[in-house]
Amino acid sequence: MSTKEQKERVELLQGTLDLLILRTLLLGPAHGHAIAKAIEFNSDDVLQVEQGSLYPALHRLIKRGWIAVEAGISENNRRAKFYRLTAKGRRQLAVETSKWDKLAGAIARILRSAEREGES
Amino acid sequence: MRRGKRMGRRMLEDLDEDIRDHIARETQDNIERGMAPEEARYAAVRKFGNVTRVKEETREVWSFVWLEQLLQDVRFGLRMLRKSPGFAAVAILTLALGIGANTAIFSLIDAVMLRALPVEDPSQLVLLKWSARNAPNIHGYMTSGDCPMNVMPGAANPYGCSFSEPMFREIARANVFAATTAFANSDRLSLTGNGPATVINGQLVSGDFFRTMGLKAAAGRLFEAADDKPSAAPVAVLNYGYWQSAFGGSREVVGHTIELNNVAFTIIGVAEQRFTGITPGSDYDVWLPLSDAQRITYPMFWRNRSDDAGNWWLTIVGRLKPGTELASAQAAVSGLYRNEMLHGSVPLFHGGEIAVRPGRPAGRGPRSDQMFHGAMPPPAGGNGPASVLVPPQQAPGSPVQARREAAGAPMSPSAGKTPVIFAAPPGAAPEGGPKTLSTVADNPEVTLVPAQTGLTGARSEYSNPLYVLMLAVGIILLIGCTNVAGLMLARAAARQKEMAVRLALGAGRARVVRQLLTESVILSVLGGTLGVLFAYWGAHAIISFVSSNQPRPLGFATGVDLRVLGFTVAVSLLTGIFFGIAPTLRSTRVDLTPTLKDGAGSSASSGRANGKWFSIGNALVVAQVALAIVMLVGAGLLVRTLANLRSIDVGFDSHNILIFGIDPTLIGYKGAQVDSFYRDLQGRLSETPGVKSASYSVMPLLSNALGIMGFHWPGTPQDQRSDADALAVGPNFFATMHIPFLAGRDFNASDFKVSATNSGATPTSARTDVIVNQAFVQKYLGKESALGKQFGESAAEADRPANPGYEIIGVVRDAKYNSLRREIHAMIYMPHSAGGASFELRTAAAPQAILPAVREVVAQVNTNLPLFDVKTESEQIDQLLFQERLVARLSGFFGLLALVLACVGLYGLLSYEVSRRTREIGIRMALGAHPGRVLKLVLQQGIVLAIVGACVGIGVAMGVMRYLASMLYDVHANDPLTMIAVAVLLTLVALAACYIPARRAMRVDPMVALRYE
Repeated sequence: MSTKEQKERVELLQGTLDLLILRTLLLGPAHGHAIAKAIEFNSDDVLQVEQGSLYPALHRLIKRGWIAVEAGISENNRRAKFYRLTAKGRRQLAVETSKWDKLAGAIARILRSAEREGES
Repeated sequence: MRRGKRMGRRMLEDLDEDIRDHIARETQDNIERGMAPEEARYAAVRKFGNVTRVKEETREVWSFVWLEQLLQDVRFGLRMLRKSPGFAAVAILTLALGIGANTAIFSLIDAVMLRALPVEDPSQLVLLKWSARNAPNIHGYMTSGDCPMNVMPGAANPYGCSFSEPMFREIARANVFAATTAFANSDRLSLTGNGPATVINGQLVSGDFFRTMGLKAAAGRLFEAADDKPSAAPVAVLNYGYWQSAFGGSREVVGHTIELNNVAFTIIGVAEQRFTGITPGSDYDVWLPLSDAQRITYPMFWRNRSDDAGNWWLTIVGRLKPGTELASAQAAVSGLYRNEMLHGSVPLFHGGEIAVRPGRPAGRGPRSDQMFHGAMPPPAGGNGPASVLVPPQQAPGSPVQARREAAGAPMSPSAGKTPVIFAAPPGAAPEGGPKTLSTVADNPEVTLVPAQTGLTGARSEYSNPLYVLMLAVGIILLIGCTNVAGLMLARAAARQKEMAVRLALGAGRARVVRQLLTESVILSVLGGTLGVLFAYWGAHAIISFVSSNQPRPLGFATGVDLRVLGFTVAVSLLTGIFFGIAPTLRSTRVDLTPTLKDGAGSSASSGRANGKWFSIGNALVVAQVALAIVMLVGAGLLVRTLANLRSIDVGFDSHNILIFGIDPTLIGYKGAQVDSFYRDLQGRLSETPGVKSASYSVMPLLSNALGIMGFHWPGTPQDQRSDADALAVGPNFFATMHIPFLAGRDFNASDFKVSATNSGATPTSARTDVIVNQAFVQKYLGKESALGKQFGESAAEADRPANPGYEIIGVVRDAKYNSLRREIHAMIYMPHSAGGASFELRTAAAPQAILPAVREVVAQVNTNLPLFDVKTESEQIDQLLFQERLVARLSGFFGLLALVLACVGLYGLLSYEVSRRTREIGIRMALGAHPGRVLKLVLQQGIVLAIVGACVGIGVAMGVMRYLASMLYDVHANDPLTMIAVAVLLTLVALAACYIPARRAMRVDPMVALRYE
């Protein structure tokens, strides 16, 4: 993949990835690989997360105190780190979600009106 | 925050394992989806992305990345420096010298010019300065050297900061300020009651002085308003330093009694340690209440001063009320002053007292034909208050008897060239003249200036040399930077391949630039650290040099304080960036491919890339040489100035003369007693073994003190005043000083008797005999015979006896009076009577050796009389030349340093050049080039650079040296001899610097050279 494409995608995912992680963890603690899988699966594989970028994002969220980490045993009996949403993270998720809704709504309105103009 | 850090470290420790786990799971998933294990793993890794980058990004989440990278850069930089210790040593030493010199000079400037006044909240303190269009109609003016002033006779726009005591009281009463204080130098004080009699310096201060300054006592208590009352018992507060040195810091001293000029004072306390004095450079041993002034000083000087609005002698400082605008306080004070000036009446003189008046106000014509004023010479190492007073025993209008008040006092003549005390005859207030101190047209006003900048004190004396030195060390640092930049360039060229590799491997350009800048900053910080040591040592060396020239230690506290450290850090960093930036940008602007292919710039094919730095390198060397030339020319001129001043014919034999001051009036001798005391002492001293002859004068020659007298010269208009330098001397003065007579005779006993009578209250009708110098004859008499010529008589006036005038009885050879730089003026020597005096002893051998014997002789006459200002005439001259010696010595040192640095730069460039061209030289030699030609090849480059640099330097020097003109003596700012000498010196040294690399080039073994790389 070329550098340019990569950059665009990273830009797209900046911040959004955090939101998706928080949303995923709302369903319950999960380990890293499971989070990546969940995001891919829930987005019907539209969002191809470059799995590596998950880790800086997780660390960032931990640092901010939005998620916490605890040791656990994974479904196939292996030792794994489980990430869990904190109360602070839960609040943040609400904030981020409403922000995202507003943003998406606004962009959608603009795009739709542009479309109509294009039709007429 | 800390918890976060710890958590981060733990998280990062597990990161590798997390990633491995993640990929393993993904691989497992892929296998389950039916991929082959190999393929599954590959897909998993690809899906994960760049592991290294993920790790780095994750790490960035937790760390101050820049800090970590900085550490990395620093570690790498140090490693690089360790790899080339020679380069590192030269660079660090160069920078240390540059930064050290700058820090040393800055710490002096800081101590002398910038340091905040050692009081509470100094920003709220303001100094009162008066100004007017014409001199006010006052009869006494004295400054304690706190601020600049100009009250020269007839000077337009005079200004100053001395006020009368009534003015001070009125301002204090008006409550303009939160606190108001006034102070003045107390003159020399003879102290007894603490071991042998000594002479100390005191400051008279108003009762609110310490309160205004916001100071606390280190022991006992400080003054209160009640202490400053004529009825109060005399009390004194000690300076902390003096308390330590004279009383061993004993607390018992509080309550102890000392005698100052025979008056008992009770010590009530010690001021806190930081307070050495309010004016920079001042160093008073004791503070005394203003009200005690008349108890301890010549009664005639001080009597009635406290209520005399026409006698200005107090410096006033106020503390602004919180929230009060400077402007409104100023308007209030100025209003009070103006009111006093325009509506207060001119106070009358009190007969028989000394009259002091600032010359004749311009446009009002002369009011007296006899006028005395002391004028201070240029500030060339003078150390004493700028005041010359007429001893009170001397009736006004009689021959001048000038005495340099408290020559050993700490304050230096701040205004330098200005006169300080004017004595005019009593009744000088003109009839029909203005009856007020000033007129509306004169527009008298007061401005408030921050005490921090207004109280200059000794500062003005040191500011010029310090600024010249600051400039000099600035140039040194510039040369040092240029030098290191050149070295860095050479290194950068050698490291081009390394940079190319880094860039090719994907390092960002910014990251490489930062790496290189870090390296240069490391160099400069190391240099700066070493520089602080140099600075510490250097500043101490300079201070001790300066102190060795002063009768007392300087009142400046020097030391490396925070501001100086801040300066050094700033200079170091700026230096590092300055000399690092050019090579850095240069080395990151590389075209990768050719550089990587090329053999590290060893062949001619890299000439294109190197051609550019090469010219920068050349330019840097030229700049260094040029700067060094500028430095050397400056140093050369200053050194020649010193040599010229030293070789001046002073007109008398300055070798083997011991000088000391002694003043029996301090302990109560009066009139005729004083004269017989001197005559007795002179006789005893002349018979002391080792003394060839002894005499005395009111002040020693070349002591920076000067007396001028005004008189009427026959044949000139009645109201025209003539003047001449004047010095009162004792018997045998000319023989002792080896000043030869050209005509006439020396004073005899009857001359002294007449003079003594004439200076008394009832003068005789006999003229005072005087001796003049050649310049006097030339100025006033021309070809006319001087002997027997009479001048200066004046008729009696209501409140003044007639002056019988003077008659010339001898002519002596010209001799310098107060300073070496001042030209010899017309001069009158007259018989000394009364007042203080300084003895001159002509000795057979080293003058210092007979000092114990001299002390013994003095003790035989009176055990309570301290000697002061004891020194040899040569030491006296050295003190006079201290500023010149300081500047010449330091600039000479810095000039040589500049030369050495420039040559190191030249050497570095050529060495690098030779090693870069080793292969080329080898080929040339293999093809049969003569070693001599190779030598020439290298030498030529060096010499051309040196000569170009020298030419540029001389051009610049010719442009800037005129700014030095005021410091030079008898040498032109564009002195060709100095310029040529410096250029030749530099070329020779440059040749030597080139020769070493050139010889190495000559010895290149073609076989080795061709195998090089």
